[in-house]
Amino acid sequence: MKQVFTAVALGSLFAGAPAFADAEVGKPAPAFTLKDEAGKEHSLSQYKGKVVVLEWTNPECPFVKRHYEADTMANTLKGFDAKKVVWLAVDSTAHNTPEKSAAWKKDEGFTYPVLQDASGATGKAYGAKTTPHMYVIDEQGVVRYAGAIDDDPRGKNEKKVNHVKTTVDALLGGKPVPASTTTPYGCSVKYKSAS
Amino acid sequence: MKHTVSKRLVPVGGLCLWLLATVAHAALPPSAVATSAPDEGDPRVEASLLVDATQVKPGDTFRVGVRFRLDPGWHIYWKNPGDSGLETEIDWDTPGSTVGPLQWPFPSTFRTPDGFIVTHGYEGEVLLFANATASAQAQGSLQLSAAVNALVCEVHCIPADMMLTRTIPVGPQTLPDAEAMPTFDAARARVPRPMADSGYDVKVELATKPLTAGQPFTGTLTLTSTKGAPLPPLEKDFFVPARIPGVDVVHLKETAPGRFALEGKAEPDVPQAEPRLEGVLRLGTAATGYHALEVDAPLAPVVAAAAVPGAAPAAVAKPPSIKDSLAAVKPAAVVPAAAPAESSLGLGMALVFAFLGGALLNLMPCVFPVLALKAYGFTRMVRQEQGRVGAHAAAYAGGIVGSMLLLAGAVLAVRAGGAGVGWGFQFQEPLFVAAVSAVLVAFALNLFGVFNVGLDGTSLAGKVDQSHGLMHSAGEGVLAVVLATPCSAPLLGTAVGFAFAAGPITVLAVFTALGLGLALPFCVLVLVPGLAKRLPKPGAWMERFKQVLGFALLGTTVWLVWVMGGLAGVDGMARLLAFLVAVGLGTWVYGQSQTQEGGRRWASLGVAVVVLVGAGVATLRFDDAAAATPRATSSTVAQAQPWSDEAVSAALAAGQPVFVDFTADWCLTCKFNERTVLSREEVRAAFTEHQVAFFVADWTRRDARITARLAEHGRAGVPMYLVLDPAAPDAPEVLPELLTVDSVVDAVKRASACSPSNRADGSKVLCAARLPKP
Repeated sequence: MKQVFTAVALGSLFAGAPAFADAEVGKPAPAFTLKDEAGKEHSLSQYKGKVVVLEWTNPECPFVKRHYEADTMANTLKGFDAKKVVWLAVDSTAHNTPEKSAAWKKDEGFTYPVLQDASGATGKAYGAKTTPHMYVIDEQGVVRYAGAIDDDPRGKNEKKVNHVKTTVDALLGGKPVPASTTTPYGCSVKYKSAS
Repeated sequence: MKHTVSKRLVPVGGLCLWLLATVAHAALPPSAVATSAPDEGDPRVEASLLVDATQVKPGDTFRVGVRFRLDPGWHIYWKNPGDSGLETEIDWDTPGSTVGPLQWPFPSTFRTPDGFIVTHGYEGEVLLFANATASAQAQGSLQLSAAVNALVCEVHCIPADMMLTRTIPVGPQTLPDAEAMPTFDAARARVPRPMADSGYDVKVELATKPLTAGQPFTGTLTLTSTKGAPLPPLEKDFFVPARIPGVDVVHLKETAPGRFALEGKAEPDVPQAEPRLEGVLRLGTAATGYHALEVDAPLAPVVAAAAVPGAAPAAVAKPPSIKDSLAAVKPAAVVPAAAPAESSLGLGMALVFAFLGGALLNLMPCVFPVLALKAYGFTRMVRQEQGRVGAHAAAYAGGIVGSMLLLAGAVLAVRAGGAGVGWGFQFQEPLFVAAVSAVLVAFALNLFGVFNVGLDGTSLAGKVDQSHGLMHSAGEGVLAVVLATPCSAPLLGTAVGFAFAAGPITVLAVFTALGLGLALPFCVLVLVPGLAKRLPKPGAWMERFKQVLGFALLGTTVWLVWVMGGLAGVDGMARLLAFLVAVGLGTWVYGQSQTQEGGRRWASLGVAVVVLVGAGVATLRFDDAAAATPRATSSTVAQAQPWSDEAVSAALAAGQPVFVDFTADWCLTCKFNERTVLSREEVRAAFTEHQVAFFVADWTRRDARITARLAEHGRAGVPMYLVLDPAAPDAPEVLPELLTVDSVVDAVKRASACSPSNRADGSKVLCAARLPKP
């Protein structure tokens, strides 16, 4: 009898359902609580009512460096109403430390927090694969955009479309999001087990 | 012109070696060789512009290419780089000749140790080339320039920009370059061929058609040889998908030679045009030689998912290819909303599972007493009413199927009302539990002989009202169903989960199959004449057996009383017990009335009814609030915490593996697992050792969050056991519904293999190789 049960149970396992999905456009964003480089805690839930932009980052990545040299992130944020939009950088690099983030923030002179996710749990919950990898979450906590910062992976186009800007502008203006998923580009996120 | 092609890889390390490597190309013009991706002063890539001819005749075709040589461990990317990276780009500037599309040899697949990030590209050496045609008017020499933009990665990545130029003289003949030709031919052999001239054919059949935006899909890919030749064996990473607009990573898994299980997901903004499965397939192994093919087959039409409020379908940012544009011209097939797409289980399979599950329910502790009762009644019947056995069996099966259909109807009605329901949901209703308890007690007292309902063959023999007997059989069928629901047998969860997500016809079909399965053992007894004869002869033992069965029913009642405790607290239990005493009194009075005559009999009957109704009204008021305090100790594992998404995320973020027990007090399978497995010392020790965060999601009372989470895994009821690995929290392992100590301990071990505590002691555990689930 036991064998029968085992066989049957295995059968039901095989027929089992698909796994949890990553942060999906149109679905509630995975919750998180992470400390920033100064040790202050940030939860997604505390920003309910605001549009939240998540930027997976790694100061060692050439793609991130290029965007910080061009001030892409700071300029994008500058274009938004600061009362309605929160920008959070997340660093899931295994060997990153709050001290490194703090030094980088000082060098680059930006204002938003750098959330410390060295365990990679939040990065993996979102399915963040690259740096930069951008997510826009609306006032209700629903993911509305996932993908690249812009349509110019090589940094060579004269005119580029900043997907985060178009998404946030559309959300605040009550318009449909023009492109809700794009293919992110950049370095892979250097998750813990990769070290 | 002659040049020496070095067969060596660029060695790792210092400048001297690099110089040596460069010297090896002395015959190539210096402008045709460049190095880049400087890593601490050491270039990681060397690119050379190669041509397969030393002289070209006007109008002739020749081949141009860029050969990349990479330091060991470093790679560049294929045209679909995968999860990260960047497609290698070559921009040609070739006045006097035209260069065709780039030919890509079959790529390697690279994975991070945890398998989370998968990319495709080349390491060592690769030649990316194209066919070129010299203009008929070409004179003098052809100027060839290639602007190369590549991302060179090991763990970290370095962008490489290189400009390569050279000239090829134009002459009366095209002269092949004997040195370069083999390099081009070798690369050509690795480039996947179009399916049409490969000698193979591919068919894709999706199980979930049409594609629903935002939903996963599965299917089968069949590969056949058009010549009927046997299919060569395969090596790991034999399939690399191209970037398909609107379709997330596609996996192929070989299930039999030439048959592959296909799995993928339509993005929320998948274009309305029919997406195609595009990619490259490599047959053969390193030992047998490779044979790479292009795969390009239609998947299925797309329907929009149930509209996400405000989220208008958006264009995919990638510019559409010509093929997409062509496909877009065709009207996209319009198909009505497709609910079954939510589950990967086919209807046929669901019916089989439902039938098997129904049959297994007979062995569950909650149904077995009824089955035993039926077998007991049957023994008697076989001797006394030979001719009517078939009719009784039909009535029993009819009772089962009928009540299953009623249950299905209830499910549909409740669902139409918008409430989330699941298997066994009726046990979340105190009044229902009370009613079933009352029936069980009445049944038990009947078996003890307190009163008769024509059940007792000895007293009513000879004057059995036949239709009444049939009604009785049907009634037993109904009771079997009522008691069966909380015993969600293995398989049943999946089948019922399927039914709950599906259309009304499917729900009815699955429940019917379930009922037939439940009725099966009894019907087998009837249909196989030899079996019936093996049943023991009736006699005095039957009376004793009957009374023993009564105690079994009282045992089942104890469980229901305990369920009530979960629903309505200690007060609720007390009220239920008081009511059950009244039921006992009422049936006893009724039993007395059966021996009385005329008016006294009717008076007794009245008293019985008054006792029952009065006690019912007085006691059956259950207060949900009485049990409002969550009982985290519902499981015997002491460290259990009440489940919530947030708590699970927090534990995972802390690097702890997580075990979630989806349970309910009325779920005997759950309780069985908790008693026999989860509370065992071995399990507790494993949990402590691996610092497992143990969560109990208690579904005893309705909880929409739990219902939603069950539905996510295709289940409509408990039990369900999830093990989450902090290293891969998006890929929980769903354990079988019947646990064993080994299965739990092993799962927990797997999930904690990459946890910080294990990594700290430097143990080389296999954290990688988390293959996608079938």
